Amino acid sequence: MNRINPLYIAALLVGVLAFSMFKLSSAKEELGEAKRAYSKTEVIATKLSSLKEVYSNKAKIKKSLKFILNQKGVNHKFKSSSLSLSSDSLDVNALNKLMGKLLNGSYNIQGLKIKKLDNENVSFKMEIKW
Amino acid sequence: MIFNQKYKILFLDPNTDEHYGDEKVGIILSPSLYWVKKLKLPVKSVREVKKLLPSIFEDTLTNGNYSYSAYKTSKENEYIVFAYEDKTILDLLAKQNIQMHNIVSIHFAQTELSLIHGAMKINDMQSVYIKDDILVLVPCCWIEEKGTLVLDDVKLSNHKIHLQQFGHIVNIKSLYSIGAILVLFIVLTMSELFVTNSKINHIQDLQSELFSKYNLKSTMFQNKSMLKKYTSIHSKQTKLRETFSALLGLRLNANEKINFITYKNKKLSVDFSGVGEANTSQIISALKAKHLNLSSSYDKNILHLEIKL
Repeated sequence: MNRINPLYIAALLVGVLAFSMFKLSSAKEELGEAKRAYSKTEVIATKLSSLKEVYSNKAKIKKSLKFILNQKGVNHKFKSSSLSLSSDSLDVNALNKLMGKLLNGSYNIQGLKIKKLDNENVSFKMEIKW
Repeated sequence: MIFNQKYKILFLDPNTDEHYGDEKVGIILSPSLYWVKKLKLPVKSVREVKKLLPSIFEDTLTNGNYSYSAYKTSKENEYIVFAYEDKTILDLLAKQNIQMHNIVSIHFAQTELSLIHGAMKINDMQSVYIKDDILVLVPCCWIEEKGTLVLDDVKLSNHKIHLQQFGHIVNIKSLYSIGAILVLFIVLTMSELFVTNSKINHIQDLQSELFSKYNLKSTMFQNKSMLKKYTSIHSKQTKLRETFSALLGLRLNANEKINFITYKNKKLSVDFSGVGEANTSQIISALKAKHLNLSSSYDKNILHLEIKL
């Protein structure tokens, strides 16, 4: 016949409710955190992916460079992570054409040297990395 | 007091002043501890009767917190109904030193002593006897022939009550309502917690998918570091192209030419030949207007510029 004081049960229920509300509040905070982390990761992932595609996709860069360099008078040498271009004497028009293509493309130009030899010719050196 | 298999049976009466030890007991309540009525009601169940009891006893009872009980007799639609004050009984139990944990069950004398013959003396002043199927309490002096109440043959029935120990402190119905609301809130909160946790798991799964889809490194630190590296490359290359655009966009005089361009370690050097001293500031200010960070030197018609990217 000994019964539990209903006030104890009420207090227990209030305790359980407070605990569950606390857990819910923590979970909501965690959810907000997870959403922010996801958005941040998504931004980083898309940016990184597109930048890597542009500056680090070896096969793609090599393919497009080979297409551009398919012209006479420019020596080129592919290395594992770079390309060296050089010409002791290059026609100014050819230089304009080549520079136009290289500067309009997204290549990581590490070094450049253009020296005027006379009114029609220049010496040219460039290094592109990926 | 008699021995009845596993526990004793006590007749609880406010006019006896006894103190009991620490043992299991079954309690029979004296008629002075409850109100009883026999009535016919056109209802089908005891539950429906119980709903009507507060209004049935309304005129009989004084102000207080009462509990009610009822059972059906063998006759159709006939019920025996009871009203009792839990606190009065609890106080009497405490007075007679009967611990709640020792009480096996509590019964009304009406249900347990309905088979007595004639009047039975329950204390020095009062006796009980059956009148019209109701066990009534009368002063001893009213009846001359009376026996002594013997509980040896009493076998406790199933008509027992549970005392509301805290009914006088809180209204049980209100407490049930509050409890129900609290439980409802707990259920809602728990449901929301479950949903929130599911959402967290879903987002974490999506994040893992992002890692595999974009072939990211295992830690965000590595990825941030890589992004920083590529962003730096991108901004440098953009700046280089902007600088070239600014240089090639310069309006030079007929005899002014660019003789030499070199780019290394974020530094672009340019030599202009055939530049008159008066014209150097024109070229420099045109480039500075493009927000280029440059330094210059001039020697023998040659303007040398160094631009930091």
